[in-house]
Amino acid sequence: MADQNNTDDKGKFYSEILSPSELFAARSRSHKIPVRGQKDFFPDDSDEQKQRLEQSLNEHWSLLSEERVERLGNLVNGQWIPSKQIVELQSPAGKFWQTMGFSANGKQCLLPEEALYLMECGNLQVFHQDLPLSIQDGYEKFLSANTVSLQQYQVFGHLKRLGYVVLRFDPSSESSSYARQLNLPQSRDRAGRQLKRKRSLSPAPSSTPTATCSRAEAQEECSTEKMEEDKCSEGEEDIKLPEPPEAQSSADEGGGRSWWMMDVLGDSDKDSGHGSKSGSSCWDFSSISFPDLGSTSREHFPSDLAPPDPSLLPGDLKVGFCDIAPWRQKINLRQVKMSANEQKREKYRRRWDVNKNREVRRCRNWAEYQELMARRKGKREGRPAHLWNREVTPLHDPTQPIATGELLEKISVIKPTHLLEGASRLKDADDWRICFNVYQPNTVADFKKSNPGKPYSRMCVCSFDDPVPDLRAIKLLAYQSGDIPVVIAVVDYGDISFYTFKDFQLPTDVYP
Amino acid sequence: MEALSCGERRLGSEEEYAAPAVGVSLCDSAPLVWRMQDLRAVRAEGLVGALLGSLPRTPRQNGRLGRPLLLLPEEEGLLRERRAAAALPDRCQDWGGAELRQKHEEEEKRSFEEQSVLALEDRKLALLRAMTGAESGATSADEALRRRLQALDQNFTFPQSAMAVQLSTARAGLSYCPEARAFLQAYGPPGAEPRCDARYQVFRDLRGRGFYLTSAGKFGGDFLVYPGDPLRFHAHFIAVCVSLDESVCLLDVLAVARLGSNVKKTVLLCSPGPDARVCYTSLQWSGMI
Repeated sequence: MADQNNTDDKGKFYSEILSPSELFAARSRSHKIPVRGQKDFFPDDSDEQKQRLEQSLNEHWSLLSEERVERLGNLVNGQWIPSKQIVELQSPAGKFWQTMGFSANGKQCLLPEEALYLMECGNLQVFHQDLPLSIQDGYEKFLSANTVSLQQYQVFGHLKRLGYVVLRFDPSSESSSYARQLNLPQSRDRAGRQLKRKRSLSPAPSSTPTATCSRAEAQEECSTEKMEEDKCSEGEEDIKLPEPPEAQSSADEGGGRSWWMMDVLGDSDKDSGHGSKSGSSCWDFSSISFPDLGSTSREHFPSDLAPPDPSLLPGDLKVGFCDIAPWRQKINLRQVKMSANEQKREKYRRRWDVNKNREVRRCRNWAEYQELMARRKGKREGRPAHLWNREVTPLHDPTQPIATGELLEKISVIKPTHLLEGASRLKDADDWRICFNVYQPNTVADFKKSNPGKPYSRMCVCSFDDPVPDLRAIKLLAYQSGDIPVVIAVVDYGDISFYTFKDFQLPTDVYP
Repeated sequence: MEALSCGERRLGSEEEYAAPAVGVSLCDSAPLVWRMQDLRAVRAEGLVGALLGSLPRTPRQNGRLGRPLLLLPEEEGLLRERRAAAALPDRCQDWGGAELRQKHEEEEKRSFEEQSVLALEDRKLALLRAMTGAESGATSADEALRRRLQALDQNFTFPQSAMAVQLSTARAGLSYCPEARAFLQAYGPPGAEPRCDARYQVFRDLRGRGFYLTSAGKFGGDFLVYPGDPLRFHAHFIAVCVSLDESVCLLDVLAVARLGSNVKKTVLLCSPGPDARVCYTSLQWSGMI
């Protein structure tokens, strides 16, 4: 050294080089760190505090100023290749080769962050143009935006010092989610969803053969199936609608039979509505006698039936008296024995007249009466027709069986989602990238660089100045990572904090 | 080892008492301090910084870290304002020149020779100690040792692999860029305009009052405020910098107050005022009285 012999203050002032005697004496250095004592709460200018502070500071400086001294035999030599941004080893690698480094062109090489870490541990000496690099040179040459940033190296070093195996993340070497899918069993979620889809596609069995019901279902089906194949849906439509839409007939449809209408119009609220009509085709049932052959009461027990009016008979037909006795033999005339309840019920039943019902009297023809009957049935069974014959139908037919869980799913407004949903469609962004794969420390013994296996987690590095990752970024990271949790390491100058986002499903109160 | 403490200075002229300037090296655009006396100078200014590297004595632990020291942007700004620091060039012009290589080889050879001599002396001493250690001892053992001692001068070999080598932390010796340092020493670093952002104003003010400050990202604030050197005292405050005309959401205030009470530190809302004064508001969580 030029200023070796001159005792210029300036030279020594800036040099931190150890003399050979100091180097030799370094063999017997202690390897223990002094324990830090308790801190004080408040400075009170006491001598005691000053002394303790001085002691702490001296300890601090002596630890920091200590230089790394190693036996030449323990050091592995490497060479920095700036063009490839790697360090090529000149001497055989040591124990670190098990978890670090790679082979290229028949030579053992190290990535820049690995080389810098080994330099800091005192295991590696890197040369550049035949001169040894200091740690400072290593930091300034190896860490850049192209290789590994300073923050990423901080995280790398922190994890390595804890004992983890840290390798760079290579997105292209990760198996696609489809490939992973083939090896993994189907999740319950997916199975459930598939089932659901199948249900909506298959024709729902309709127990009520009303035309309105089937038409509504056919509409549902058509809308889903039309997306698949048009032909198929058309065919289905034909099958599902055999009859013309006469079920939709409202009261406005003309051509209904008028004799009933007349009857309704004729009476107000009178019980007996059979007034005699003049000149109409209405029959007067009060004057037409229908003999009750089964009656047991004496007065209605004629022995024979009188012949009908000859004017009513066609042509020269002559009818004599009719003997009832053989007819009565053909009828079961046994008196039914009824209990008191039954007798009472029978009495009410005989009194009951369907025509007394107001709704029934409002019906002007059989079609309307049938509609009324259908409506009543629907209400009884919980499936009123007026709800089902429109575009918007109820979510679920109460007559159909369904599991509680599926019903809850049907009525839910917010569907549960998981982190990876929709993630494959996201385009890659520049700002959030996975840097490292981290493997557990206890696997170091049988760790193979060629086949590292599944990492413990994946690291993404950022700082507190950066924004918190939004849902899009988290989805992207989770998709890139697959089924391995992504940990975000936030670097705050000297401190590193680790955060991770976990998928969480809200519990449903249903046990299937 | 470091022979000089930070107190020693080279006096340029009678009137001026120029403190040595701190050389700051940029690594991936982060200001790092590498040299021991630079670190001491930074500490002497009341700035703490953050250590990033492995500690040479025990590299495989995270409890105590070693050089380099990372400066907060506010710390670097303050040093520049006080004309106490400047950036150093990251490479020396004549790195890798033949002259340097030759010097390095000569140095290595010289070191090896000296170490061999020292090793021989050390071995002799060990043998002597062994001889005198045996008190009455059989003279045959003593004789054997004496013979070995005499043979030592001829037979002793100090292998190359046993030589101790230094892995320098800071860029040292041959490539420490003496010209740049000399320039800094002679002319001093250029002054910088004080920054005008809220964080810097608050930092400057609190430092001026004698507090030590470090970053407080994981406490949800901007700075941790210590009443004395962080080596010996716990932090009292979490400083959150808010500008006076900025409206703060009440939920944010509640969140930071909760955080502070959980870690037993007072939250300090700091707002730089118009006349270079900073307004401080401390939050205390208390019940309704």
